[in-house]
Amino acid sequence: MDREQVIKALKDSGKWGHKYSFWVVYFCTGCGIIEIPPVITSRWDAERFGVIPVATPRQANLFLITGYVSLKTLRAIIRTYEQMPEPKYTVGFGSCPINGGMYWDSYNTIKHLDKYIPIDGWIAGCMPRPEAIFIAVTHLWTMIDKGMADAYKKYREQYKYYRRNQEMVLGELEWPPLYPIDEDE
Amino acid sequence: MVILLIVGSIVIGFMVGVLFLGFSRKIKARIHWRYGPPLYQPIIDIVKLFHQESVSHGFLFDFGILLSLGGAIVTLLFIPIGNIVPLHGSGGLLVVLYLMLIAPLGIALSSVEAANPNVSIGISRKFILALGYEIPFLLVALSVMTNYGTTSFVEIVELQRASHWGIISMPLSGIALLLILPVMMGMKPFDQVGAPQEISSGPEVEYGGIYLALSKIQHIYLIFIDIALFVALFMGGGSEPLTFFMKMLPIFLIVLLISTVYPRFRIEQAFNYCIKWPTIIAFLGLLLVIWR
Amino acid sequence: MLLECTLLIGFGGAFLVYLLGKISARVRDFFAILLSVVLVVLVSLMYRTPGIELTYFSFLDYPLRLKMDWISWFFGIAVVSINLFAMIFSLSDMNHKKRVDLFYLLMLLVNAGMLGVVFSGDLISFYIYWEIMSWSTFLLISFKKEGWSAGLKYIILSIIGSFSMLVGMLVIYSQLGTFNISAIMEQMHTLSPGYIFSTLLLFSISFGIKNALMPLHTWLPDAYTESESPFSAVISGMLTRMGIYGFLLILFVIIGLGRYLEVGSGGYSFILSWLGAITIIMGTFIALLQNDAKKLLAWHGIGQGGYMILGIAYGSSLAVAGGIFHTLNHAIYIVLLYFSVGAVEYRTHTRDLNSLGGIIKKMPIAFMGALLGISGLIGVPLTNGFVSKWLLYKSLILNHSPFLAFAALIGTWGTILSVYKFLHNMFLGQLPEKYSNIKRAPFSMQFPIIVFSFTIILFGVLPGIPLNIIGKMMENMGFASMQVNIWGIVTEMGTLNTVNIFFAIILVVFGIYILYRIGFRSKRVTQEDTYAAGHPAPRDKYAYTSEFYAPLFREMKPIFREWVSIFFEKIVKFGGTLSDTIRKIYVGDLGTYVLYIVLFLAFLLILRMGWNLW
Repeated sequence: MDREQVIKALKDSGKWGHKYSFWVVYFCTGCGIIEIPPVITSRWDAERFGVIPVATPRQANLFLITGYVSLKTLRAIIRTYEQMPEPKYTVGFGSCPINGGMYWDSYNTIKHLDKYIPIDGWIAGCMPRPEAIFIAVTHLWTMIDKGMADAYKKYREQYKYYRRNQEMVLGELEWPPLYPIDEDE
Repeated sequence: MVILLIVGSIVIGFMVGVLFLGFSRKIKARIHWRYGPPLYQPIIDIVKLFHQESVSHGFLFDFGILLSLGGAIVTLLFIPIGNIVPLHGSGGLLVVLYLMLIAPLGIALSSVEAANPNVSIGISRKFILALGYEIPFLLVALSVMTNYGTTSFVEIVELQRASHWGIISMPLSGIALLLILPVMMGMKPFDQVGAPQEISSGPEVEYGGIYLALSKIQHIYLIFIDIALFVALFMGGGSEPLTFFMKMLPIFLIVLLISTVYPRFRIEQAFNYCIKWPTIIAFLGLLLVIWR
Repeated sequence: MLLECTLLIGFGGAFLVYLLGKISARVRDFFAILLSVVLVVLVSLMYRTPGIELTYFSFLDYPLRLKMDWISWFFGIAVVSINLFAMIFSLSDMNHKKRVDLFYLLMLLVNAGMLGVVFSGDLISFYIYWEIMSWSTFLLISFKKEGWSAGLKYIILSIIGSFSMLVGMLVIYSQLGTFNISAIMEQMHTLSPGYIFSTLLLFSISFGIKNALMPLHTWLPDAYTESESPFSAVISGMLTRMGIYGFLLILFVIIGLGRYLEVGSGGYSFILSWLGAITIIMGTFIALLQNDAKKLLAWHGIGQGGYMILGIAYGSSLAVAGGIFHTLNHAIYIVLLYFSVGAVEYRTHTRDLNSLGGIIKKMPIAFMGALLGISGLIGVPLTNGFVSKWLLYKSLILNHSPFLAFAALIGTWGTILSVYKFLHNMFLGQLPEKYSNIKRAPFSMQFPIIVFSFTIILFGVLPGIPLNIIGKMMENMGFASMQVNIWGIVTEMGTLNTVNIFFAIILVVFGIYILYRIGFRSKRVTQEDTYAAGHPAPRDKYAYTSEFYAPLFREMKPIFREWVSIFFEKIVKFGGTLSDTIRKIYVGDLGTYVLYIVLFLAFLLILRMGWNLW
């Protein structure tokens, strides 16, 4: 840490904290999770970026959607995302969450994840290399610096849209709405 | 003056604890052939957690975590860090034995209000483990108090300085305490309480943001207290804080190296470990003290 | 004058309340409370006048005497205060139950009997009041239909104890020719060591049964569990501790400290202390295995009784002070705990620890009572239990008895485990659907809980208040005076300053609270919004309560069993088998009986001949 960084850190300690301490919720949605173990262990060592896996969404602030999203998983993804404390960041990992990928005509997976929860960024590829995760992390740093990583705010503002999309594919949801929905609009 | 001492020891305890934690992450990474996070990574984590939102499950959820950290800090105030002992005339080692129980009790009260079975399992494991390590630990503490004929912490340290270290006059008790130190600190082979893979980090399941930060700080203090106990009881304390920390470092390293190479035990195995060899050694140590 | 009045009002008022109950329930309730308040006032008025002794009645020219010293006053005020709050508690607890008049009568009789026991100045009165107390207790334990066998168990052991005491009294009388306690005290030195030992043993059996010392404890768990909650509070808080009063009387007043420590050249004190230590360990660890809230507390009652016995039997100044202070503290927190359980049982109609849960949201006051109660039971610093245990440990350690100290300390850790299970399974965790509509306890239940909670903190932060009186008691019993001031204890062996700890904790918690407010405000969520691996939490039974310490239980169950009960059951079984064998003689065949007679005559004949058959 040189002097410039120290001043920056003191000036906005929250931003500094959020940037250099990504705690990833350990949640495997699909095949992409196979890239995570090498990332967090000796070969690629994600801990030097401050990225460590945690067990529950309450402690996490980064959500990696690793691989295709089936309908059953989507339910758990939404629940997990809603339980994460703000500010929270989401990254879609692999081509399946982006546009369905090789499961584009499957009856049981969703094609566009950002219809159901807001996404800060995407990592394309099938599979993406572990290095791509680091590129995503550093890219997220710049976005946080510029105040562009604000997808979680979008979720609050447009909650009605997301909830409607979620209920369209999943039917009635068992939990109450996270934010109040204005019905008469 | 007392207020100054109190604030001083709180700050020093925190800084040294954080340094140890950062150091441990770095060393662990080097053993794994990794580069590892910067030394100040725990501070970044705590700062981040303070800036994050959190959920609360009720009054006890808030109160318990405050109580827990308060208990940990008050325990710290009784332990002589070098020549800094803010509360030296208020009870001594017996009070410390009891105060060390407030911190886990606070966590136990707070986290359980989240109505999550993972928490209950974690707390149940915590208490089983506590019973396991308290049996040898109490024997060790009793042998120290019997040997020096006092329950005052300051006097124990002074008596050691007058003759020689406790580990020389009571070798068996010292070894027993060293054997259960990883269990008391909840380091790797004995981290069943917050096992992330089995019970989703146990009592911390519903902690986020400030709650997690306070819980982590509490854990930092507890690690500091456990090592400081060993140094004060068996390694003659220190005439000033710096020597004290120098003595703490090798003890921490031993525990750390053990924790890096061992996988997690099951809870029965941990309990059986505690009540087998450490207890036998501590018992022999107590007999040795009485016999002399 | 005040003394006789108090006893007269105590006994007379009990029957008056019973008669008034026949007229109107409201009048009866009012008078029961009034009587209890009057008794509290009367006993408090005696604060200034300890040290008196008087004859109140002569029976066949034998003077029956009352005494009033600091020991009597200390136990007396505890008895009447607990009785008052138990009466207040039973106002709503006994509502809509049958035979309430009888219940009130017996409660007040027990209370008056205990007062009589602590005020007696001679052994005859002591015995009479002791019996009144025991028999009313028997009726109260078997008040409910389920309590019948528990009551029988109690009264059988109690009768054994009474006879033992009676024989002990006769031993004293045969040697000294008097029952008057102060006269016995003066002449005690004329007794030979053998007589002292036999007196001590006989009285110890009696008081050990009352105080549930380990081999004599079998009556207690069922008795505590099966009685009504207010009476559970009284019996655990004070009635069982009449055994402690008895021990104080026999050990330090009648026999005297010096002579007691010499019995068997210290062996008696040693054995009694170790019995206390075993009681602590077995009591608290068997409590860990219980699933009934009241039964768990009952086993703790046994275990905590061990602390008192250990302190008193050990005989050093600090240990005895600790033992006496623990008697008071135990009374306060165990009464509080029984009140909390009673309040929960009143609303939920169960005390099964496996089916309750999450009631904190519905009954916060009962939870507060339970929390402070268990803190006292553990001896968390700043609650009252801590100070008495500290005195005890300190004395044991510095007098070089580390193994006794170890037994006492490890008992504390067993306590933590079991009371946490008690608190968790009842109040914390998920609230089952069927309890989502329960209301708070009525005010007459909450009021005693609040008062006792406050007392726990008060005596924990300012232990000097009761220790002051205990110091005077100790001087009565021939100990050196204690250095007590309002904030703690100063001894030559070290000090305890609870006020310092109190302010340190307040300061630190306040500091952390500020830190906590700096961070973002947290969002309040319901118990359904909890982590369940990405799924909505199940509505019911999403809790970990049954077999709470399962891995530990597997290790403990073979060791911590009720060995004494098992032994008694074995004896009963053996007796049954023996009787069955003997019964086989009666075959019902006339010829066989004739054969018996002939054989018997032949036997007699041979006996007469002096075994000279040839």
